[in-house]
Formats: sequence, structure tokens, C-alpha cells
Amino acid sequence: MTLVDFCNLLINGTIEGLLIALPALALTLVMGVARFPNAATGDYMTVSAYAGIGVQALGATSIVVAGLGAIAAGAAISVVFYLWVFRALRGRPPVASLVAAIGVAFFSRSMLTLFVGHDQQTFNMPLVRAWNFGGVRLLPTDLYVAAIALIAMALLFALLHLTPIGRQMRAIADNPDLARACGIRSGRVLLALWAVVGALCALGGMMFGIKAVVSPELGWELLIPAFAAMILGGIGSPLGAVAGGVLLGIASELSVPFVGPSYKIAVAFALLLLVLLLRPRGLFGKAIAAR
Amino acid sequence: MSALLAATGVHKSFDGFRVLDNVSFAVPERGLTGIVGTNGAGKSTLFAVVSGQLDADSGRVSFADADIVGMPPLRRARLGLGRTFQVPREFAHLTVRENFLVAARREYGETLRSVFIGWGRVRREETRLVERADGWIDFLNLRAVADKPAGTLSGGQKKLLELGRMLMTEPRCILLDEPFAGVNPVLVEEISNRIRELNATHGIAFVIIEHHLEALKALVQHLYVMDQGRVIADGEPAAVLAEPRVLEAYMGGVI
Amino acid sequence: MTAYLVAVGIVALIYMLLTIGLNLQYGYTGLINFGVVAFFAIGAYTAALLTLAGWSLAPAFVVAMVAAGLLAYPIGLLSLRLSDDYLAVVTLGFSEVVRLVIQQERWLTNGVQGLPGIPRIFQTLGIGEYAELATLAVLVLCNLAAIAVMLHLVRSPYGRLIQAIRDDEVAVEAIGKDPRRLKVQVFMLGSGLAGLAGAFYAHFITYLSPDQFLPLVTFYVWIAMIIGGTGRTSGAAVGSLILMVFLEGSRFARDWIPGVSEVQMASVRLALVGLALILFTIYRPQGMMGRRQ
Repeated sequence: MTLVDFCNLLINGTIEGLLIALPALALTLVMGVARFPNAATGDYMTVSAYAGIGVQALGATSIVVAGLGAIAAGAAISVVFYLWVFRALRGRPPVASLVAAIGVAFFSRSMLTLFVGHDQQTFNMPLVRAWNFGGVRLLPTDLYVAAIALIAMALLFALLHLTPIGRQMRAIADNPDLARACGIRSGRVLLALWAVVGALCALGGMMFGIKAVVSPELGWELLIPAFAAMILGGIGSPLGAVAGGVLLGIASELSVPFVGPSYKIAVAFALLLLVLLLRPRGLFGKAIAAR
Repeated sequence: MSALLAATGVHKSFDGFRVLDNVSFAVPERGLTGIVGTNGAGKSTLFAVVSGQLDADSGRVSFADADIVGMPPLRRARLGLGRTFQVPREFAHLTVRENFLVAARREYGETLRSVFIGWGRVRREETRLVERADGWIDFLNLRAVADKPAGTLSGGQKKLLELGRMLMTEPRCILLDEPFAGVNPVLVEEISNRIRELNATHGIAFVIIEHHLEALKALVQHLYVMDQGRVIADGEPAAVLAEPRVLEAYMGGVI
Repeated sequence: MTAYLVAVGIVALIYMLLTIGLNLQYGYTGLINFGVVAFFAIGAYTAALLTLAGWSLAPAFVVAMVAAGLLAYPIGLLSLRLSDDYLAVVTLGFSEVVRLVIQQERWLTNGVQGLPGIPRIFQTLGIGEYAELATLAVLVLCNLAAIAVMLHLVRSPYGRLIQAIRDDEVAVEAIGKDPRRLKVQVFMLGSGLAGLAGAFYAHFITYLSPDQFLPLVTFYVWIAMIIGGTGRTSGAAVGSLILMVFLEGSRFARDWIPGVSEVQMASVRLALVGLALILFTIYRPQGMMGRRQ
């Protein structure tokens, strides 16, 4: 592998990783507050990406409008399933929510394929040529996508740390009983949280759709990498999810010359096992994750 | 005489907040020791550190002349250091008798091999253990509910069940986490009597965390008072509870 | 018609083996295995590759079972260091990785083209159509044996301890017992049973391809277990039968409803599985014993 190849893989990996960080953040937020791994995360991404395609199909040429449509759809589907399913399962063992989340994933994906079909879709994007710096290639689209992911994360951290509702979310994540005792109305906060989770999934789905194609398996296939990113970073730590995502993205890109492009999921899985073996609480996690 | 269980200079912080600050205590062989303190004084954290659910930041914990810092809970239990929980952790879907039997030390019946071979050996072991379990069930007055699922028991009965389950492990010392909380006065007296008897006839040492001062005062030989993560007094119960700073810290505002 | 019923019966009995294994893992021990299909696939491919290489069936089936059980060992050992939610995630990931490997490693599995021409069970006996009936009988015997072992196991001291682990793991440690050893053992046992089910499946269908081993299969088994009642030995039989009625019924439904393609019907099936998982967890909580946190 030449230095140029290495740089290209590094850049691609960083961009992939920033995108993986979006669903990883969604997972870690749910894990922090509702305490179960939300297996429907990937399919929220898929449904939102298709919503974005749908907005474009209705005649909106702007990718921004499509993106806003996707975010609205993502937030909506996430809130609807919270109100219908996950709210009813609060206070029950996490396994109930976990199994139900698989149900939600299957249900939303099947509704999609039933009405939209299994065909791959693409976003209408102006074709641009990659910039070339002596062999190091950089697609402007990739740069935009990465910038949007970064902006979204900045907004999320601002929300969590600077706004009252964000502070309440963190309080509930820290200690639900104490938060209730302090008069935090968790219903409203949780509604906001699930909307944010849906929006993050939607952004992730859109960005992956723009980078490649939109298919019914888009999100499901990203679920394990997103889990790996979350666990790598440390469960319940938003900063960890971002760091975990980027590390995972780089690791899986760098593995391509050795194991081929089709084994990316396997690389994510291997990394997940490695973290469980060596540092179960992840890079930024608290020790509580381990017994 | 050296102590059976001793903690020396234990520190523990959560997010920079000192929950245990240089805590030391010692329990002699066959001792009956109490620990009191207001909510948040650090009692439960101390228990968790002693029984291995939490690791202390620094300090020594020893049991039966062995350093047990960093030892996982199950190995401490095997050494003979048992505990009960503030909120009882019964095996809800097992009957009371099964709860007792699960806890018994056994050589053979818990190996996967025993499911397939050596049934006779398992049966002999089982007969012996059922006898012992029923002995403790009678001792704790749980005979009427022996075949009921443990999840259906009352709060007080669950406390007795946890104590009995611990007894099946043949402990030398039991840490009791609020054995009288939410228990009616008649049962409080009953549980106290059982503890005395176990201590006197079986030589089991007890460390008891309690809010119920009256019951504890009448039960223990030595009392520690904790406040804001420190031990502020210890000694003979009546004397300790009469100390001004104990009155101030522990009962301030109440009396 | 008889041939059809025998075929449905065989598939139901294969699912029953899977359900018994999962019930041991989740229903009795509380292990959330979301990767049942991985061990099913490993059993199927192991047995098929061996018989295609000229092995006779019986040793191939035993090796398939052992292979699936042994592969469960590292997975269980790693993820059971932590809480059981990790096992769910790790096993789900594992099942997708196994499917990916089957897809990619053409030299071994022939990739997406699949493995055709796997010998049928009792084919060499030359008893013609009775071969299927004999297969059914052998499967009945295997299921009865599995149930007998389960019944004995859950009433043994060993079984008592795994149920205690399910109810409260912290308390199990407090009485000086190591939950991990038993959890890994149970995980291996149940996975071995899934491997055996896979071996039967391969030699009944006679053709294997990676798309037969989607995560959906795992959740068919979950639904069969939940319908039958977790932690109830008889539940597996009832659950697998109801599952078969649903799967076969949806096939007939397509013949009656005009204008529905097989692809759409697959979507409907997936939707119903999803809906069942949601509704069962909300409205039939006793199907999900779960452990107190």
C-alpha cells in the first residue's frame, strides 16, 4: 500500500466514520435513557432515506428540501413507535423493549418494501468530479456530507449541554429516580429525545443514501457497525459514539486492501469482539457497563 | 484476637464526590456489629465494597486473615462472607425450598455432567441437602410457604428467605442490609431472635445496617455510626447513641 | 396430500428442535440469543459439505451438532463477560457475519449459487416415498429425546441453578456460584441443538443457499417460543405448530388473494412477524420472563 492509497483510505474511513457516528449517537442516546439497544435504529434510517427520495420524486429538486423531509419522517416514525411501543414497555425488563425493537425494525421495513418495492433508489445529485491532489482524491460530495454530519453533532452537543431540555435528558440518563424527584417531567423530555433520535437516524440514512444508493437493507446493514461504534466509544457517551464511529470507519477502510470490501460488517464485528475482550467499557464509558 | 472481617482506610468516590472517606471497622469472630447512619451516609456503599459488588478506590479489606480487595463477590461468598440485599433478591420463579437448595454448597449436582450421568450420586446429595434445607425452613418458620414460588412471599418473608439461603452456604459472617425495613414489629422481634440464636449456637458473625435503632441497639454488641462517608463514633451501643455529636448528626431534627 | 403433510410436519419438527434449544437458553437461563439462525446455518452447511464429500449421514450430523456447539463457545465467553444485552447484539451480528461468510467464500459454500444435490435422509435405503415418513419418525424421536433431556435437566440441581441465574444473577453470585460457566454451557447446548436442526434441514431441502439463513428465521423461532410460553417445556411443540400454520397459511393465502406477488407476500409475512413481536411483548408479558435489573 502506497502512502497515497493510505491517505485515500484514511479520508474515506473518516467520512464513513462520521456518518456511522450518527446512528451510533442515536443508539447511545436511547441506551443512556431507555436502557436498551434499539435494534430499529437502522430501519429508521432506511425509512427516512426513502422519505427523502419520495420528496424528490414529488418534484423538489433541492437536496436540502429532501433532507428536511427525511428528518421530519425520521422524527415522526421514531416518536410514533415510542408512543405506541416503547412507552408501554417502560419499567419492564430491557429484553422486552429489545425484542419489540426487532419487531419495529421488521414492521417498518416490510411496510416500506410492500408499498415501495425492493428497487434501489438514488438521490438526484449534480455530478461532480473528484478533486485530485497528486493521487489523493476527494469528492466534494463527501466533504459536504461530512460537514453536515459534523454540524449535526455540534447541534446535538449544544442541545445536550446548553439547553434546559438537554440537561434534563442527561439528568434522566444519569439517574431516572432522582430526575423524577427533582420534578423533571420525563414524558415531555422523552418525546423530545425520541424525536432527536429519529432525526439523527434520518440524517445518517440520507447521507449514506447520497454517498451510495438507497435500498431496503441500507439501515439494517449499518446496525452492527453502529453498535460496534457505540460499544467502542463506551455506552451512553455521545462523545464516545463519535470517536468510536470514526475509529471504526478508518479501521474498516484500512482493512479493505486485506479482506476485500464485502467484509466490512465482519470487520466491525471483529472490532466489537476485540473491545469486549480488551476494554468492555469502551474508550469513554463509565465502569458501570461492566459488572 | 484478630478480627474476622476488617476494613482499613477505605476511600470511595463517585464523580469526585466522596462517598466513603477513610472508613475503618472491624468485626470479631462471632461478633454482632451494627452500622447506623442517615441516608447517604455511605452504609450501603460500604457493604458493596466489603461484599465485592464495588471496588474501593483505596484501602484494605480483609476476611479471615485473607486480603479480599479485588476479589469478586462469588469468591468472597465461598470464603464464608455472605450478604443479604436491601431490596430482597429472591429467585422469584423458584419455590422457597428450591431457593434454599440452590444456595447449598455441592460437589456434584451442579456440573453439566451430573445431568447425564451419576444420578444416584445426585440423589444422595439431594436427599441430604433437602433435609438441611427443611431444617432451616423450620428454624425460620417458613414451612407453610415452602412449596410456594418465592416471588409470592411478603416482604418480611423474603428477608427471612434471603437469610436462610445465606445459611445454606455455611457462612462465617453475614452482612445484613436493613433486615427490619418494611417488616412488621412482631416479625422484627422474630428476626432478632433468630439472629441471636444463630450467633450463639452456630457462631456466625453478623454485620447489620439498620435504620431501626431500637431493634439494633438491643441486638448488637458494637455499633458504628456513619455520617457523610465517615465513621464518627463507635463503641457499646447505648453509650455511642448518647454521644452528643451522634445525636447531632444522626438524629438532628428528628428528636 | 399425505406427502404435503409429512413435509410440513418435518419442517415443524425442525423448528421445534430450534425452539427447544432457544427455550433452554432464554426461557430457562435468560440468555438472549438473537443469532439462532447462525448455528442453524453452521449445522446445515457442515453436514451438507461432509455428506457431499462422501461422509455417511450419521457422523456428519454429529459433527454438525458439535461444530455449532463449539462455535458458540467463544461467542458466549466474550459477550457473557457483560450484561445479557451484549449477547443479543453480538449474536445478531454473528448471524449476519456467518451469512456473509457463506455468501463470500465460494470455494467452500459455492456462494449465492448455493449447494445443490445434498443427499436425502434414507435415500440410499431405496424405500422410495417412505424415506420421508422415516425422516419424520427420526425427527419425532430426536424431539422426544430433546424434550426428555430438557425435562430431566430443568428438574435437576443444574436446572435449578440456571433458573436462579435467569431470575437474579447478582443473587447467584452472592451465594458463591459462578453464573458464567453455566451460561456458556447452556449457550453451547442450545446452539448444538440448532446445529442438529440445521443438519436435518439441509438433508430435507437438499439445497442450501445463504438467503435461507436471514435473521428472520431467528425471530420465527422467538415467536414460536413466546407463543408456546418461555420456560415451559411443552411450549415448544405448541409454538412450532402454530408457527407452521402461519407460515403455510400465508402461502395458501397468496393463492386465494389475486394480484399479490411472492415478493409482496414476503413483505406481508415480515410485517406480521414484526407485529407479532411488538404485540406479544406489550400484551403478553408472561411470554417474556426477563430478569429484574
